[in-house]
Amino acid sequence: MLTAVKNQLKITLLTIKFALMREMLNKVTFVTNIIFMILNNASFIVQWIVLYSLKDNVGGYTFNQVLLLWGIAAGTYGVSRFFFKKAFSLAETINNGKLDSFLVQPKNVLLSVITTDVEPSAIGDILYAYIMLFIYGFSIEKFLLFTLFIFTGGFMLTAIAVILGSLSFWFNKTDMIADVGNSLTTNFATYPDGIFKGVVKGILYTIIPVGMINYIPIKILTEFNLGLTIAVLGFTIFMIALAFFVFFKGLKKYSSSNLMIARL
Amino acid sequence: MRKYLFIFKSELMSNLQYVFDIFVGFIGYFIMLFILFNLWEYMYSDPSELINGYTMSQMTWYVIVTEILWMTLGGRKLCRKICNDVRGGNIAYNINKPYSYIGYSLFSHLGGIALKGLIYTILGMIMGFCFLGEFPTINIFSIVAVLITGILATIISILLITFIGLFSFIIEDANPFYWLYSKFILVLGTIFPIEYFPAVMQPILTFSPIYVVSYGPAKLFVDFSWSNFLSVLIAQIIYVIIGYLLCTLIYKKGVKNLNVNGG
Repeated sequence: MLTAVKNQLKITLLTIKFALMREMLNKVTFVTNIIFMILNNASFIVQWIVLYSLKDNVGGYTFNQVLLLWGIAAGTYGVSRFFFKKAFSLAETINNGKLDSFLVQPKNVLLSVITTDVEPSAIGDILYAYIMLFIYGFSIEKFLLFTLFIFTGGFMLTAIAVILGSLSFWFNKTDMIADVGNSLTTNFATYPDGIFKGVVKGILYTIIPVGMINYIPIKILTEFNLGLTIAVLGFTIFMIALAFFVFFKGLKKYSSSNLMIARL
Repeated sequence: MRKYLFIFKSELMSNLQYVFDIFVGFIGYFIMLFILFNLWEYMYSDPSELINGYTMSQMTWYVIVTEILWMTLGGRKLCRKICNDVRGGNIAYNINKPYSYIGYSLFSHLGGIALKGLIYTILGMIMGFCFLGEFPTINIFSIVAVLITGILATIISILLITFIGLFSFIIEDANPFYWLYSKFILVLGTIFPIEYFPAVMQPILTFSPIYVVSYGPAKLFVDFSWSNFLSVLIAQIIYVIIGYLLCTLIYKKGVKNLNVNGG
C-alpha cells in the first residue's frame, strides 16, 4: 500500500516536472508570465488603500490582515492552478472524450488527468502569497502554517473543480457551470467575511467553503488555534475524498469516443 | 461598411444559439455585484451619507453600470484570440481578404457580445432595483445618451485590447499585458469613481482610458448633465480615432515581419 502511494506520488511529481520543463522552453514568456501575475495581483492593493482611507476597519479586518487574506487567496489559487491545472478544464476533457488516453495508464486516472499540465503564471501567485506574508509579519511558525494553508486551500479548490467537472459524466453543458462555480470561491476569497451577513455567511462556511479555505486560516495565523487547524485539515481530507468518490462514480458512466490523440 | 455590418450580423446570429451560456455567465456578474453591494452597504453606515459626493445608492448604480460594461466586454477572450491568431498564423488568412483585420476584429467581437450586453443591461437594472428599491433620477433622453456613451466605451475597449493583443507580433504572448490593463481598468475605473482617488491622481485618471471606458458612462447614469455628456462624447471620439490609428500602426508594422510556416 505504502509503496503504491510512493510510486503514485513519484509519477505525479515527474509529470508536473516535465510539464514545467515544457513551459520553460520559452524562457522570456515564462518569466514575463510570472512577473506580470505578481504585478496583476499587487494592483488590488490600491483598492484596499482607498477603502481603508474611508474606514480603519473593513469587515473586522485591519489593512495588514486584508493583505494576508490576499496572500492566502493568491497562494491557494496558485497551488491549485500550478499543480492541478487540468482539474479546471475537466468538463472539457470528459466532453471531448480525451479521457481515453489516461484510462490505459497503470496509475490513478484522476491524478494523471489533472497533473498533466501546469500554469506558469500560478508561480507568480504563489510568490505573491509569500510576499504578502512577509509584509504581514514573518516568523517560522507563521511561514509553516501559511504554507500548510495554501496547500490545504489549493487541494480544496482542486477538489471543488473536480466535483464540478465530474458533473459532465451525467449532464451536458456543465463546463459553464463548473467555470462559474470555480470563480465563485475566488471572488468571495478576496473580501473579508465581516461584510457578509446571515445566510450568506453560513453558505461561505459550508456550500462554498471559502471560510475553510481562507477565513479560518486567517484567524489561525492571527491567533493560533489547534481545534480550528484540525477542522481545516479534516475538511480538506473530506473534500479530497469526496472529489475522488464523485470522479470514480462518474467514470463508470464514461463511454469512449474512440478519439485518437497524441500526448507529448 | 456593409461587409462589417454583415460580419456583425453573422456573429450576432451565431450567438443567439448560446443564450443559455449568457444566462449562466450572468451568475458570475450577479455574485460580483452582490459582493460589492455588501461592501458598500458596510462602508456606508447611513445610506444617505455622502462619501466623496456619492450616496450609497449612487455608488451601487455606478458599480452596476461599470460592471455591465466590463463583464459584457469579454476582453480576456478577445485578447487571447488575437494572440492566438498572431502566434498560430491564422492572421495570414486575413491579409488577402478584402477587409481590414482591425475592422473585422472590432465588428466580429461587437456582434459576439451585443446580445450579452443587452441581457446583462436588463438583468443588471432589475438587480439594482431589487437591491435598492429605486432607480436614479434620469429621463429617457438621458438614457439614450448614456447608451451612446456605453456603446462607444465598448468600441474603445475593443480597440485598446486589439492593440494589446497585436503586441504578439513583438513578444510571443501579449496576454500578460492584458492582465495589467484589465486590472488598471478594474481597480481604478470599475470599483471606484475618479473622485475617490487623491486630488493629485484625478487629472491623470481623467485623461486615461478609464474616463472613456467606464467612469464617463457610469457617472452620467448616476448624475446626468448635458455638459458632462458632451465632454465624455468628445473624449470618446478622440479615443476611437487614437485607438484605431494605434491598431493600424502596429498591425502594418507586424505583418511586414510576419513569417508563417506551413499551410
